[in-house]
Amino acid sequence: MAINPVPDHVPPEMVRDFSLFTSPGMPPTPNGDPHAAVACAHDGPPIFYSPYNTQDGRGTWVITRAADQRKVLQDTETFSSHRSIFSSVLGETWPTIPLELDPPAHGAFRSLLSPLLSPKRVTALEPAVRERAITLIDGITASGTSCDVMKDFAFPFTVGIFLRFLGLPDQGLDTFVGWAKDLLHGNDVERPVAARKIVAFIDELANNRRKDPVDDLMTFIVQAQVEGRRLTDDEIRGIGVLVFVAGLDTVAAAIGFDLAYLARNIKDQELLRSEPDRIVLATEELLRAYPPIQLIRVATKDIDFEGAPIRKGDYVSCATMIANRDPEEFESPNTVDLAREHNRHAAFGYGPHRCLGSHLARREIVIGLEEWLARLPTFRIKEGTAPITCGGHVFGIENLILDWS
Amino acid sequence: MRIIVHNAKCQGHARCSAQAPSIFTLDDEGYVLRGDINVAQGDELLASRAVRSCPERALEVDSSSAARFDPAAIQPKAGEA
Repeated sequence: MAINPVPDHVPPEMVRDFSLFTSPGMPPTPNGDPHAAVACAHDGPPIFYSPYNTQDGRGTWVITRAADQRKVLQDTETFSSHRSIFSSVLGETWPTIPLELDPPAHGAFRSLLSPLLSPKRVTALEPAVRERAITLIDGITASGTSCDVMKDFAFPFTVGIFLRFLGLPDQGLDTFVGWAKDLLHGNDVERPVAARKIVAFIDELANNRRKDPVDDLMTFIVQAQVEGRRLTDDEIRGIGVLVFVAGLDTVAAAIGFDLAYLARNIKDQELLRSEPDRIVLATEELLRAYPPIQLIRVATKDIDFEGAPIRKGDYVSCATMIANRDPEEFESPNTVDLAREHNRHAAFGYGPHRCLGSHLARREIVIGLEEWLARLPTFRIKEGTAPITCGGHVFGIENLILDWS
Repeated sequence: MRIIVHNAKCQGHARCSAQAPSIFTLDDEGYVLRGDINVAQGDELLASRAVRSCPERALEVDSSSAARFDPAAIQPKAGEA
């Protein structure tokens, strides 16, 4: 893969050999801890330039401090999120929506979708979410004293909820997860193939729902209006692809990292098991410690930002896992403290593009942990196995074999 | 105690209403309602925790009112004591 040369306007002393893709702990690593590995970003200057920091080998500025990430992500005029991160895999430029639209165009689409994932709506979904968790966990405990959390619980739990939300059948689960895996963690050949499959699937789904409306998200989108008009085909595709991709991988990864932490930290595991009221607060700390997402913006104009000469067109990376280890924002940032208060972590980003699914994600993690801890005795990582973790655009954990024999 | 709500900064994280649902009401999209909030006595600790939970810093305790000593707060109300 070609690496772009460092642009002339970047002072050599601001270039750091750091990458979410290639630094130590970022490629697939047995027993890795990629979130702890990127905390080293705070050992240097608060903003630096990484010559290789996107899936397609681009350089980015790296904003390490939470306060600076807040400034970047709140200032959508200077830092645009229209970067066609999905469609560029196909050599195209249409935006995923609302993520890659800037205000004011962003607002109408955000308002269209926000009520579907509001705290109130998520509360209404809670019984179905809990039922799904219980069914899966009961199946796991009935069939033995060991399982692969990712394959047997995290993915079927989160993706199943999500497919129901989208109005898709459970049978597609393995196929969809495979596409997401290829898209997010695949190589240069796998990624466009996966992207094409996802686009074709979303386009076909939209067509079907136009012909035969049902009570689901895609029907809602094809029938919806913004600013007094129907959505265009590109807009429908942009929404469908975003919702599809955003829901497939992230919450499962979070649950995997969280259960891996608890499997390795028995005292914390027992504390949450004996005092489940602590799980809601603990979930915030686990979101702080193990968020899976990097956010990227593009500078719309030249700006000297906190000492960094950012020029129009530069990519600016706000990695949530780096902000969440900022010692200026969090006391002892590399210590997981499940009772941490005033935890204003960056897991769901800042600014107008705050994760639309954040309320659902939170509930899924809380309910997943509640039911897992209530229904299983003390669990550990199975002897002789090692969870494989990876960094990248979305951090992941491939396998997590737990044992409670 | 009075809380200044900077609505332009609210991005719908809904942490305030998670901390203090009786004090912070959300609209249908999940964003805090417009307008500053007068907090009842007794709810002040809860309200200030909610203010400190906002990732966007969209909530602010009105220091002109918080700093002011309010003797009414420690005097028994009519009919009590």
